[in-house]
Amino acid sequence: MPANDSNVLPVTWELRPRPDGGMTLAFQGELDVAFTSEAWKALEKSLAGQKISSLEIDASGLSSCDSAGLALLYHISIGGMTPGVTARVTGLGAELEHLFRAFSKEDFAALQDHEPACSSLFEDVGAATLVWWADLRQQVEFIGEVTIGIAGGLFRPRRMRWKEVFRVFETAGVNALPIVSLLTFLVGMVIAFEAAQPLAQLGAQVFVANLLGLTMTRELGPVMAAIMLAGRSGSAFAAELGTMKVNEELNALQTMGLAPIQFLVVQRVVAGILLTPVLTIYAMYAGLLGGLPVLLGLGFPLRMVLYQVQSGLHLGDLAEGLSKSIVFGGIVASVSCLRGLQTGEGPRAVGESTTRSVVSSIMLIILADALFAAITYSLRK
Amino acid sequence: MSAPRKILVAARDLTIGYGERVVLEHVNFEVARGEVFAILGASGSGKSTLLKHLIGLYQPKSGEVLISGQNLVTAEGPERLQILRRFGVLYQGGALFGSISTVENVRLPLDEFTDLSDEAKDLIALSKLRLVGLEAAATRPPADLSGGMQKRAAIARAIVLDPCILFLDEPSAGLDPITSAGLDSLIKELARGLGITFVMVTHELASIYSVADRVVVLDPKVRGIVAEGTPAYLRDHATLPWVRKFLNRETT
Repeated sequence: MPANDSNVLPVTWELRPRPDGGMTLAFQGELDVAFTSEAWKALEKSLAGQKISSLEIDASGLSSCDSAGLALLYHISIGGMTPGVTARVTGLGAELEHLFRAFSKEDFAALQDHEPACSSLFEDVGAATLVWWADLRQQVEFIGEVTIGIAGGLFRPRRMRWKEVFRVFETAGVNALPIVSLLTFLVGMVIAFEAAQPLAQLGAQVFVANLLGLTMTRELGPVMAAIMLAGRSGSAFAAELGTMKVNEELNALQTMGLAPIQFLVVQRVVAGILLTPVLTIYAMYAGLLGGLPVLLGLGFPLRMVLYQVQSGLHLGDLAEGLSKSIVFGGIVASVSCLRGLQTGEGPRAVGESTTRSVVSSIMLIILADALFAAITYSLRK
Repeated sequence: MSAPRKILVAARDLTIGYGERVVLEHVNFEVARGEVFAILGASGSGKSTLLKHLIGLYQPKSGEVLISGQNLVTAEGPERLQILRRFGVLYQGGALFGSISTVENVRLPLDEFTDLSDEAKDLIALSKLRLVGLEAAATRPPADLSGGMQKRAAIARAIVLDPCILFLDEPSAGLDPITSAGLDSLIKELARGLGITFVMVTHELASIYSVADRVVVLDPKVRGIVAEGTPAYLRDHATLPWVRKFLNRETT
């Protein structure tokens, strides 16, 4: 079978002179998509040197032909291989003729001329600024609406959909416990290991316990819990609301007279604010627990470790950690919901808003953390 | 009708369903080359499920789906790919890829399955768009097209590899009557002009009367085909009264 031999094409052609001085290019065999590419190159070679004044293409000898073959015939017929000489194609069956008529060099030229619109640097900067400004306005509006919603919920607790709050509490809080335990346990362990060596040089290894207690309570407990909330649940909020927007469920809510923020966002934000401190306290314990085996391994008795942790920590440190976590929880839940509500159209939109929710959440967490650090530092002075 | 009928699509004793639930039992039909064949039935009668089994998306519980004589149910590897290449599918929503332009959507199968030059691929894709009347919209993104135009673009993509069979899932779903009639005449033109065989699932009576050569009617109660014939014949002579009523609803 010729199909296995690349040198033998199932199609052949012959250039015959016509009595009127022109040439006829007659095809025989099968001209379909499997071999058109090779036939194309071979024909280009064989027609290159020919002096042809007028050309006719005879396709009546083709036993089978498809769109790819027709594209080749069309290419020759518009002078693609014989510059300046166009050709008539004869001998196509009715169905192929129908397909052949749809080929158009005008369409092809239009496609080649079409260049994607290229914008200037100034336009891009301007457009980006406008987008940024609109986003900022939207965020301010959103914060206002959510605050009103939460205040409304506090004054009239019966109107709040507590069932939804508890559902979020479970999925974002309770179900996150295993991963939060594992990660903060390991982080506590790492800190203890890393701190043990330099402190040993100063003969102050016992203070590893103080260090661990302080960092876990003031810094890492709330930050780790918030980052895990952002990655695990914030992204889910954004995807959930984004999919609802794509499915027009948000429009349905609005036409029913229900504000999406009241109906969907407030519950999530309330749940976020309530559950993050709880998750944070849990993370603090898990972190301390992670440092414990290291300290015991260094030869300190359990009582001593506990005493060091207790003496190093004050109620103010715990208050700092917990107030941070409340702010972080509010940030993660509300920013993720906002990104979900901002979802555009199309299959990529949900993915984009999920990414944006995690990026914005983590950025704002670190920003808020820096602010907290500056404020508490000036308060302590 | 004296020429021998070449059977392109056939269901043989097909039993289909989800999990434990059987939707249709012992379904048998044949579709000849060039025919426009419609699968008709009320919502929930299993028409779309049947179509998904015919195009190999789902595996039937028993029976055969023959595409030009080859069994799609048991085919694997290159043989399956070869069978899949023989037909195109128009999904309900068009299923165009939103991230690329209309002409790139049509070109995609050529890019993936052929070694043609860029020029040849563009020429072919544009010719298909002209066949469906969308040559002016080639560079626009699918989201910019109206519902009817999206369906046309999806048909252009479905026929770009010259399949001999086209499966259509509710082609007129979500279209206004005029756009829907335009799509019907495109189907007729492709069937008569290119000899493409159509298997369509629909409940749109207007388009059945205008394009279908033959219909089968599915009944969820008996879980199978209850009537088969030309639409006009079934409208007046179907044995079951509800089939006559169903087919008369919009035309009387």
